Amino acid sequence: MWKGSLMQADAQRESFALVFGGSRGIGRAAAERLSVSGLTAVITYRSDATAAQDVVMTIRNNGGRAHALQVDVRDESAVRTVFRSVAVMDGVLQTVVYSAGITSDGLLATMSADSWASVLDTNLTGAFYVARQSVKAMRKTGGSIVLVSSTSGISGQPGQGNYSASKGGINALTQSLAKEVAGLGIRVNAVAPGFTDTDMLRRMDAKARAEYAAHIPLGRMGEPQEIAHAIAFLAGPQSSYITGQVLAVDGGITA
Amino acid sequence: MSNFDDIKNAAAERLALNARLRTMLVDGLELPVDADKIEDDQPLFGRGLELDSLDTLEIVSLVEEEFEVYITDDDKSVFGSINKVADYIVANRPR
Repeated sequence: MWKGSLMQADAQRESFALVFGGSRGIGRAAAERLSVSGLTAVITYRSDATAAQDVVMTIRNNGGRAHALQVDVRDESAVRTVFRSVAVMDGVLQTVVYSAGITSDGLLATMSADSWASVLDTNLTGAFYVARQSVKAMRKTGGSIVLVSSTSGISGQPGQGNYSASKGGINALTQSLAKEVAGLGIRVNAVAPGFTDTDMLRRMDAKARAEYAAHIPLGRMGEPQEIAHAIAFLAGPQSSYITGQVLAVDGGITA
Repeated sequence: MSNFDDIKNAAAERLALNARLRTMLVDGLELPVDADKIEDDQPLFGRGLELDSLDTLEIVSLVEEEFEVYITDDDKSVFGSINKVADYIVANRPR
């Protein structure tokens, strides 16, 4: 039987979406959007419990189901614990979204080794830990993994050598893993958001933001919900024949 | 308790672990053999039980779920036999 469709017995079980880095920005929007599709959203957060609880309450107030778990994605044993927590809820893990990411910008020539390592550890190595636990959890039922990349991983971004490298790594990981696990009915895709209105970008000053936005063909920055729609598409059955792809959601900046 | 009792208990525990592993493999991999027909030192791959790389994923996942013991490519010799898997679990399981 084709594993992309849930087995008959599984149709009765609760379906879960696990969103790493789901307390803010794109991860939060993705969790909210996936819960509207009927999935129970389990979000993880590193430090901001208040923000995570706010996401859970927002989803529940809209009639959805949600839980929040604290995890540092750089710790593989902690990542395993998250998957075990979902397993004991006895549902079907349908979707895993990896949206945990940090920036630590600076010119490469003067970037500290710590700055390089911290961005690679969270953005790429964390994705590695999550991806392999996802494969183990989905090996019987199939499922969909969506990694949040960035246009910085497609075209160069001065001052973001570490971030660009991590996101380029995500894109390559997406392609490689997609071919490894296609036979298990697991699809792996990435979204590459462009200039999106999240906390990460609110740190930029207003003038720099306006200048950057002027270069976007659609003339404005994106909203997290617009990225979330693409994530939900790649997570759900409407993208059943798509795997190993990086979908830029960027107002045309990489066109 | 005497030394003899200790040894007897340890042996019984080990026999039980090996039996559990054999059943886990036969059920999890849907092998067309009786669990008690698998020998403890019989190779799992190659000309033994003829397992493949997807079976490796299944074994790694089952051991992780059942025993909270994690196997990576650094520990490939673990897949040598039921006894090797059992040795690895005994050495690495959480206390």
